[in-house]
Amino acid sequence: MAGRSAEALLGIGFLGVMTTLYLGFQWAPSVSIDAFESPAAQRIFYWHVPAAWAAFIAFGVLFAGSALWFFKRSPLGWRLHVAGAEAGLACGLMTVWSGCVWGAAEWGTPWDWTDVRLNTFGLLTLLALFLVLGRQSQPDGVETRDTFSTFGLYGFILVPFTYIATRIWEIRHPGPVIGSGDDSGSLSGDMTVVLLIGALSFTVFILGHILMSMRITGLEQRLEQAQHQIDGGK
Amino acid sequence: MDGMNYLTVAYLGMIAGIALWTWTVVNRSKSIEARLHAVETSMGIVASDADTIAKEQAE
Repeated sequence: MAGRSAEALLGIGFLGVMTTLYLGFQWAPSVSIDAFESPAAQRIFYWHVPAAWAAFIAFGVLFAGSALWFFKRSPLGWRLHVAGAEAGLACGLMTVWSGCVWGAAEWGTPWDWTDVRLNTFGLLTLLALFLVLGRQSQPDGVETRDTFSTFGLYGFILVPFTYIATRIWEIRHPGPVIGSGDDSGSLSGDMTVVLLIGALSFTVFILGHILMSMRITGLEQRLEQAQHQIDGGK
Repeated sequence: MDGMNYLTVAYLGMIAGIALWTWTVVNRSKSIEARLHAVETSMGIVASDADTIAKEQAE
């Protein structure tokens, strides 16, 4: 039953994401040729921002799962930790990839090592990569889980730091266009609609992935237990 | 490269990435499910969903 709802969410989210890609390419209005070096590449924005939003949801799940495992020894917490790390890595890579291509088109360079937002988000993605690869290379056990959960807990500090980075130090990455707290938002009505469809679609998509990943971790544990029983364990 | 080429590269990478990730996850789930079913059927056992490491810690 849980597997079916995860697959349904994944399917709906996937369709939503593909619709966002289509709308961003075909339907969203073009931007002024004077405002951007590369107005065509600006269309990446419609899924770069929702992908980053989904990555923040995944890192939130990673933090909650890490805390639940570390402080409560909750099996659900460990499954959330694993799912959050995998989803955070995938969405982080999507965000970094789309940002690099846009940066190459707009700034003439895919990465700016002096920009705080770029570097803190890059570090978050690397943290997720470390957690995913580390879990695959280490035997499952309390010490391993405690170590990775600690990284999940402390690493989360980069999330609010990344969020406020462009509000404090706007170096290369553009500042917020929604929720900036003043009237400096520069989005037209149609642009906002595509962006909101994207945010909703990526949210459903990432929730589907998180549920699927939690299910896979549960199945892996069940398989391990079955093999333990075959080997003569209790 | 002009803007349209950058946009095409970004779109192709994104579509390939999303499709590959989703296909990998669904495929992994189905493969583990099949392996588990085969093990449980052939040995006549039913493993529980319990996390043994969490259980050991609770005890």
